[in-house]
Amino acid sequence: MPDNRLTQTEASLNPAVTQMVNIKIDGIELQVPKGENIIESAKRAGVDIPYFCYHPRLSKGDAANCRMCLVDVFAPRRAPDGTVSLAKMPKPQASCTLPADEGMVIVTDSEAVVRDRKGVLEFLLINHPLDCPICDRGGECPLQNNAIFYGAATSRYTEEKRHFPKAYPLAENVVFDRERCIHCARCTRFTEDISGDAQLGFLKRGADMEVGTFEHTAYKSKFSGNVIELCPVGALLSRSYRFKARPWDLHSQRSVCSKCSNGCNIKIDYRLDSLQRINGRINEAVNEEWTCDKGKFGHSYVSSEARLKTPMLKTGGEWKAIDWTEALQILVGKLRDANGSVAGIGGQRCTNEDNFAFQKLFREVLKSNDIDSRVEGYLGSVNKPLYERFGYHAMGNAIAELEDMKTILVLGSQLVDEQPIIYLRVRKAYRFKGATVINAVSSVPEDSPKVGDFAQLELVYKPGTEAALLKGILSVLSAEKLASVNGFAKGYTLEKAAEETGVSAEAIQQAARLMATGKLAIIAGREVANHANHLEVVQAIGDLAEATGNAQNINLPGEDVNSQGAADMGVLPDFAPGYAPLENPGKNTAQILQAAADGSLKVLWVAGAKLLEKFPNRELAQAAFASDTFIVVNELTMTETAQAADLVLPAASFAEKEGTFTNCERRVQRIHKAFDISLEIKPDWLIFSEVATRMGGGGGSFFSARDILKAISAQVPAYAGLTAKSLGDEGVRWNYPDK
Amino acid sequence: MAESVTSNIREPQPAPAKEARFSELAIAELEEIASHYPERKAACLPGLWIAQREYDGYLPPAAIQEVADRLGLSYSEVEGVATFYTMYNLRKRGRHHLEVCTCLTCAVKGAYEVVHKLEKELGVHVGGTTSDGEFTLSEAECLDFCGAATVMQVGDKYFTQLTPDNVKQVIDELRKSPDYTPAKLADSIVKTLLPGASETGGGSYSVEDLKNPAGPML
Ligand code: SF4
Ligand code: SF4
Ligand code: FES
Ligand code: FES
Repeated sequence: MPDNRLTQTEASLNPAVTQMVNIKIDGIELQVPKGENIIESAKRAGVDIPYFCYHPRLSKGDAANCRMCLVDVFAPRRAPDGTVSLAKMPKPQASCTLPADEGMVIVTDSEAVVRDRKGVLEFLLINHPLDCPICDRGGECPLQNNAIFYGAATSRYTEEKRHFPKAYPLAENVVFDRERCIHCARCTRFTEDISGDAQLGFLKRGADMEVGTFEHTAYKSKFSGNVIELCPVGALLSRSYRFKARPWDLHSQRSVCSKCSNGCNIKIDYRLDSLQRINGRINEAVNEEWTCDKGKFGHSYVSSEARLKTPMLKTGGEWKAIDWTEALQILVGKLRDANGSVAGIGGQRCTNEDNFAFQKLFREVLKSNDIDSRVEGYLGSVNKPLYERFGYHAMGNAIAELEDMKTILVLGSQLVDEQPIIYLRVRKAYRFKGATVINAVSSVPEDSPKVGDFAQLELVYKPGTEAALLKGILSVLSAEKLASVNGFAKGYTLEKAAEETGVSAEAIQQAARLMATGKLAIIAGREVANHANHLEVVQAIGDLAEATGNAQNINLPGEDVNSQGAADMGVLPDFAPGYAPLENPGKNTAQILQAAADGSLKVLWVAGAKLLEKFPNRELAQAAFASDTFIVVNELTMTETAQAADLVLPAASFAEKEGTFTNCERRVQRIHKAFDISLEIKPDWLIFSEVATRMGGGGGSFFSARDILKAISAQVPAYAGLTAKSLGDEGVRWNYPDK
Repeated sequence: MAESVTSNIREPQPAPAKEARFSELAIAELEEIASHYPERKAACLPGLWIAQREYDGYLPPAAIQEVADRLGLSYSEVEGVATFYTMYNLRKRGRHHLEVCTCLTCAVKGAYEVVHKLEKELGVHVGGTTSDGEFTLSEAECLDFCGAATVMQVGDKYFTQLTPDNVKQVIDELRKSPDYTPAKLADSIVKTLLPGASETGGGSYSVEDLKNPAGPML
């Protein structure tokens, strides 16, 4: 694999602050870290320098090419006799790449700078069509803004501009208006530095320069949406948002993406009751500012026609719309008749509040412990794989901590699909922080980006042989005395591992040596989670982590938006909220489905779980749905699972309710309600609470999501003290009390 | 001159097929050159010269992909390099590429008359290639030899003080070099980067020499 790690100087994107220097910007004296870009120092001083190409998260590789950030610079000069005087640099300097040094004096408001900016803008606008009235970016366009603040009022350019066809379909979700491009290289650097596929580049450099892909092939990325937000003009546009709204017509609500367990912070931009677009929101601990395409473009269902708007009852094989009074009457009747023979599955797409209300309803009102939130993966006690040995359940590391690892082992995961934002951190660790990445996986897809593109070592093993591979690594560690290995890897030989896994002995050796060099994080994915011998593989992961001194760096992130929160809230057969063990554990998902299939279960309530789509044993799920069990499903649309149910209740999406999600690193984050699609749609917690009230209340009746959050923080030790206010905009990562 | 001023392609295109045409010697040359630099990226320009030789005098998409794959670069990055330098041929050109400078000094000294004369003589317009595949005619920006305007570059040679009257002689002369091809030109440029190279030209070497360098290189 080629090494695309940036050298030390370039990696100074996050400089370890060593030395401070004194500089002066527009008469303001301040101390800044030596080597910091002047444009960043100016920000500290509150001095505004206009820019286009500068971006704090991108490397400076191709940058300093817009010239918008020019400033005058005076630097101290020592004469032969030792006297120091200030000398003006003869030409203005690009402040976005100018490192701060002792005694520098910067002027951003001189006549020359004002003139320079005007000149730069005149050049940038030569080929720009200035079609703001039909440009999506108009109103939030850095070019428009800078032209108004710093440009000339009129143009002197009367020659021909260059023209390209509008709306070139660059990617599935991105269209490209090449004539608007000002060649800032933000998009090209994004693909190289951040997503890692390097598909966009500058072609035909010179007067004919354009951004493009190799030979006009399609730009295929999992992160293409980010370039829309990065582009400082309206050149890169969202296909779905194009011509939909003007920015000033939009309302914006802070939220959290509901597509995976990484929990990217987003903004929902909407008009009336319709979602127009999703943009990234900065949260340094989670997504920095990025989103993946699933999150950015995958939310069109929210305002779609397919949304369920009333409860639906199946009678004689036909669906009939009914009102809530009737629906709840039927449901409550069934639950009463069931007399405790009730079970619930779901919650991974629901908020913590929904889940808390769900388990309250089942445990305290319906008196059943038969609830589970897991549809795939290991269905035994959640404490078994990691907690009993290491004291945590899923992720030992915070997402941001991954940057500081020396080595990262990605095991059994198509990381870019399963955990897109963790993928970006791993890539950042590699690109900017010099980490070494090892990818161990059973199949390698063609498409970029993926971990394999930059992994130093790729171990492609035969499906299911993860444990053998890990044992092989342990045997090398032990044979070469790289770590003290105790227990079961002893007696296991490298040759045996090579034979079983199909990975060469040398590759296993190299991997072992790389893992013994320092801080190692292990990120295990779907292949491990769904492994038939899950416990054995996790045992081996644990042994490896322990042997190398990284027992706290194992990560088995869940995949659904609230898989973590659903478990925290006790939507598990054997634990109450906060992992408090139950005396009489109930049935897990497989056992519940079995009971339904056997005909021994009266009512099954499915809260958003995609059982028919995802449960590995499809025959069992089908048998359960075909049985006499009365099945009620809370859903947004008529999914396959909903189709097979008896009663479907229309539930609110994440854009239509308040609440909190807990992401894979245990960060509790708030979502806010943006709009109502229909007043007939209810958040899941409200549905559970209304049923609880009708059945006599117990602990299951709540007034609001905030009300539930209060109950959660009172009852779940790890959530103690969390309030809507203390969660703020960036959320709070809960930790195990003994850490 | 650039190949085209704008690209009017309106739909993404299918990915071009890959090929592996580098000979054993070509691979050894590339590895030798790459070993001179801290980063493999630095061998991009020589790599493209080698490719231009291996791919019969020009760089089809497969050539760009092969260089990128061998150096671990992205395709768009290498295409960006190949589309910048006018001495890389992005499509098949005539055996001789006539690049007449029409920049300021040459223009003042009658470069356009030379161009028109060539057009008439060859029967093609600027940008065209003669039907016998002998000549491609282009305009060039300043060739940095203004003192001897009008200047024309043909491969690695300059012809100077051209006029409509003497330019025919030049093309007649060029026609008489039967074994000269763009691939040969590329080869001679590659040779200047490898063992035995001097100010005036390249050396000769074998795969073995490249694999076991005996003495100091460039
Ligand atoms: S990109 Fe900005 S300046 Fe250009 S047309 Fe759009 S709004 Fe106007
Ligand atoms: S498309 Fe946008 S982001 Fe990319 S170079 Fe052009 S202006 Fe910059
Ligand atoms: S922001 Fe400094 S040159 Fe573009
Ligand atoms: S103008 Fe022709 S060589 Fe300079």
